[in-house]
Amino acid sequence: MSEGSLVRKHSLAWTVPAYTIMVVYTVLTLGPLIWLFYSSFKPHPEIVRNIFSLPKSLDFTNYEVAWVRGNLGIYFVNSVIYTSIATALTTLFALSAGYALAKFGYKIAAVVYAFFIMGLLVTPHSVLVPLFVLETSTNIDNTRLGVILPYIAFGLPFLVYLATSYIRGIPDELEQAALCDGADHLQIFWRIIAPVAKPVTATMIIFSFINNWNEFVFVFVLTSDKMLRSLPVGINAFAAGLTRNYGLQFAALVIGTFPMIIFYIFFHEQIARGFAAGAVKG
Amino acid sequence: MSLPVSEIVRDETRPGRSFLRPGAVTRKPSRQPSQKSGMTMGASKRKSFLILLAPAVLIYAAIIIFPIIFNTGLSLTKWSGFGEPKWVGFGQYAKILTDPVFLHGLRNNFLVVGVSVFGQIPVGFVLAYIIYRRMVETERFFEVMIFLPITISPVVVAILWNQIFSTSGVFTQLVRVIRDDPRYVFSIFENKQFAIVPILFVILWMYTGLYMVIFIANLQKIDPEVLESAKMDGASEWQILFRIIIPLMVNIIFTTSVFAITGSLKSFDLIFVFTGGGPAHYTEVVSIYMYLNTFRYYNYGLGAAVSMIIIVLSVGLIYMALGVYRYFASRYE
Repeated sequence: MSEGSLVRKHSLAWTVPAYTIMVVYTVLTLGPLIWLFYSSFKPHPEIVRNIFSLPKSLDFTNYEVAWVRGNLGIYFVNSVIYTSIATALTTLFALSAGYALAKFGYKIAAVVYAFFIMGLLVTPHSVLVPLFVLETSTNIDNTRLGVILPYIAFGLPFLVYLATSYIRGIPDELEQAALCDGADHLQIFWRIIAPVAKPVTATMIIFSFINNWNEFVFVFVLTSDKMLRSLPVGINAFAAGLTRNYGLQFAALVIGTFPMIIFYIFFHEQIARGFAAGAVKG
Repeated sequence: MSLPVSEIVRDETRPGRSFLRPGAVTRKPSRQPSQKSGMTMGASKRKSFLILLAPAVLIYAAIIIFPIIFNTGLSLTKWSGFGEPKWVGFGQYAKILTDPVFLHGLRNNFLVVGVSVFGQIPVGFVLAYIIYRRMVETERFFEVMIFLPITISPVVVAILWNQIFSTSGVFTQLVRVIRDDPRYVFSIFENKQFAIVPILFVILWMYTGLYMVIFIANLQKIDPEVLESAKMDGASEWQILFRIIIPLMVNIIFTTSVFAITGSLKSFDLIFVFTGGGPAHYTEVVSIYMYLNTFRYYNYGLGAAVSMIIIVLSVGLIYMALGVYRYFASRYE
């Protein structure tokens, strides 16, 4: 963390407002989540009768019913498939593109790089209509491939940016030495660049994982087959209308949130670094 | 925490090349001249370049660039998804720009942009500054907790807050207790002008932590000696903040503004699940207007035209931010 020199006695005029702001903000952030969590163990009538009370017992009925009736098991598996394939491929493609753009010294690299950076500004909704038309006319709508391709395409601009700027910082000597030993560029990519770029690869994977796991609109628009739904789309279909059974609704929401919370606990550092890297002066 | 990427690179590539396979790199003083001639080297290099770059470029071009070009044409037609599209020129644009539902959606979009730029960024900066200057103990705890919502799916966030703000929800109950008025009902969604407010609040709730983390990472790059010497010279806390830190943060404030603008135009999932744009289009934003017209009313040409407007809008807003940034950058130099 920060240097010791920054630790200094702040006067009360600074610490009192500082604590107030932090505590209020943290309570606002955590309060709804904690409330959601414990309420998910309460049956519906109990929630309606007293919305703030703690559950009388640790009853998992809501979870069992939500899991089965909401088909959440299938959606969970789908989410795992979409997320893992898209994350692996996006990271690999972005890393190899990053190497090509950072180290080959071709003039066209700058153009291609700019072309990817432009993509940071394109929102998924601005291509949703044409993408839907194109996917239906090539018959890849309602397939896993039709979902995974846009996941990859929209993940690429930022990951290419991360990979390129990182690989630029790798000293040329490593590459030169391997070239003299007769390795070609593909071998160099696999044996030298990829291992050296491990830290940025970790950031890329984590960043991509979160985005893909929470992705909603592509599955929502490009598939109509229930069996292809991802967890966010499935939860929306199941829980959004469940105003007559809050217990079930809350359990479904917790199921949707839990994997990410676990993930966050383990990878908070890298997640923060990945998001912060987006705003590092480029 | 949050080392900037460039610093990690330096750390990881320092001597002791343990990541290289033994023998993969040999640094003999007398190197063997390469077996391959210059010509084949160049050809093999070009081939590698294409292999490395092709997957990313092809997918990106097929899924993003080509659809945008296709969309430009589609936006000039009237088409219901079946049969031949009918050419209508700029007819769809004229129709959209005079539709009060669209204009209300656009107004809501600008409010989302506004709360992002003038809400998330300043609040995120204040939180980051408190943590950076260590004005509180256990600042790590606060940091981790405030950043947490960023990992939660917008769908979950939307359903959760929809419950909280519903007529029988937590907010209503809470106000009943506080005001001691058992008949109070939170009914802001019935008000056309203010229905969007709870959504703006949730957007603030969800994404402020992101800006906080970005600011912390960049604040930590400031050389601590700069602050030290300012303190030696007797600068007050306010002077340090306004004369040293904020000028150093101008370009980060700009990049985060670009982030916030593009991010807020992306706000579809949250609002769509939260209210679906309702009641009576009160909380609609432009992307939902596009979705409904295309996929509910099967007016593809209109949807395509709205998509074009979204693209033009985001580019325009970013140029505006760039102009403001240039103004401030020149003032502080």
